[in-house]
Amino acid sequence: MAYSSERSQEARRGFLDPRTKLALVLVLAVFVMGGLGGEALRPVKTILSALPFALLLAERQWKRFARGILMLGIGYGLLTVMPFLPRALNYLALLCGGILTRFVVTVVMGEYLIATTSVSEFISAMERLRMPRAITVPMSVMFRLFPTISAEWKSIRRAMRMRGIHLGGAKASQVLEYQLVPMMTSTVRIGEELSASALTRGLGGPTRRTNICRIGFRAQDAVLLAGCVFVVGVWILELCGVRLW
Amino acid sequence: MKTDNKLKGRDLINVGIYGAIYFVILFAVAMLGMIPIFLPLLSVLVPILGGIPFMLFLTKVKKPGMIFIMAMIMGILMLLTGMGPWPLLTCAIAGLLAEICFKSGEYRSAKKAVLSYGLFSMWIFGNYLPLFTDYEGYFAQRADYGQAYIDAVQKLMPLWMAPVLLIACFVCGLLGGLLGRALLKKHFEKAGLA
Repeated sequence: MAYSSERSQEARRGFLDPRTKLALVLVLAVFVMGGLGGEALRPVKTILSALPFALLLAERQWKRFARGILMLGIGYGLLTVMPFLPRALNYLALLCGGILTRFVVTVVMGEYLIATTSVSEFISAMERLRMPRAITVPMSVMFRLFPTISAEWKSIRRAMRMRGIHLGGAKASQVLEYQLVPMMTSTVRIGEELSASALTRGLGGPTRRTNICRIGFRAQDAVLLAGCVFVVGVWILELCGVRLW
Repeated sequence: MKTDNKLKGRDLINVGIYGAIYFVILFAVAMLGMIPIFLPLLSVLVPILGGIPFMLFLTKVKKPGMIFIMAMIMGILMLLTGMGPWPLLTCAIAGLLAEICFKSGEYRSAKKAVLSYGLFSMWIFGNYLPLFTDYEGYFAQRADYGQAYIDAVQKLMPLWMAPVLLIACFVCGLLGGLLGRALLKKHFEKAGLA
């Protein structure tokens, strides 16, 4: 019955191991968003692009799924109507469509990583990867803070808009000062509280922390990691092939 | 007072906090880079705006290693956001230079802090490197943005821009450092943060 029982941890266990998620983000970032690789990788990329959406469905993240699909739809919509638009709009539609179709997939994957991985899971995965603590501690603090910062920034922007300080309403330097400075002040304060609580729980202590999170590779991880290796393999073969010809 | 030079949990958490703020600002500004004219301007805007959190960060830096770790984390994040492996290299170099510079001021000198941020800012140049090292390939990968985009970027980014951008990063880093110091005096010291 207790919260920390093995069974409740097992029930909360994500679909994938955090290390698999990280590998997928990296592959998507390099191949889909970075645009590495040529013709041979095109079909592979299509399958890769569908992956984050399937994963969101598997984790029952309906809202994120719908938003991602909507953005992707807008992107492809722009690309389809593009040839029928007058010249100036044509260029804009092509650019926006190109950017959306290229970025949305990887952004969705990143969202999936952040939304479905708890900080403990992330740290324990990083420890198993033998990452030095100097990297894992700041990184996990950052992942914890990103949603907080964007929420803070949103409410500060709203408050400043009420005072008439927004782009188009006031001088750019004013907007900068009155939006960035409070955002930073509150983030630093939140961060300090976070750091106090993390230190109480032994983060940064001299001994290795133990962890009750259940992570580890299962069949689905093996399949997806094999997929990542396959993509990189195809890319390397393509590189060699080009040189051989 | 003799200080322990080993990095503790709190120092690493501080790197995370300021790194997060720096990255959010960087990311918000970098979105502008989609518009061709802003692409070279990123080497101006990012160092200037990033100076605010970075100067605040430097007030917490009292031990060797923190600036270097910050730089390496930026490199890793760039890798995760699809900028390729080049930033890792420039981050390592720029982070090391910034670290040495701030250390020579015994982690206190205000002038060295500004100079150190200028050096740190040079890592941003790594984001442009794929464009200059493989000029043809870079544009081939971006063919789906449309010919108009490519023409605009090619006009804005001839090869001789490479050293200009590097210097711009450094100079604007200095400016950003000064801006950061001014805001530090005006706001953060009053709020008891610096």
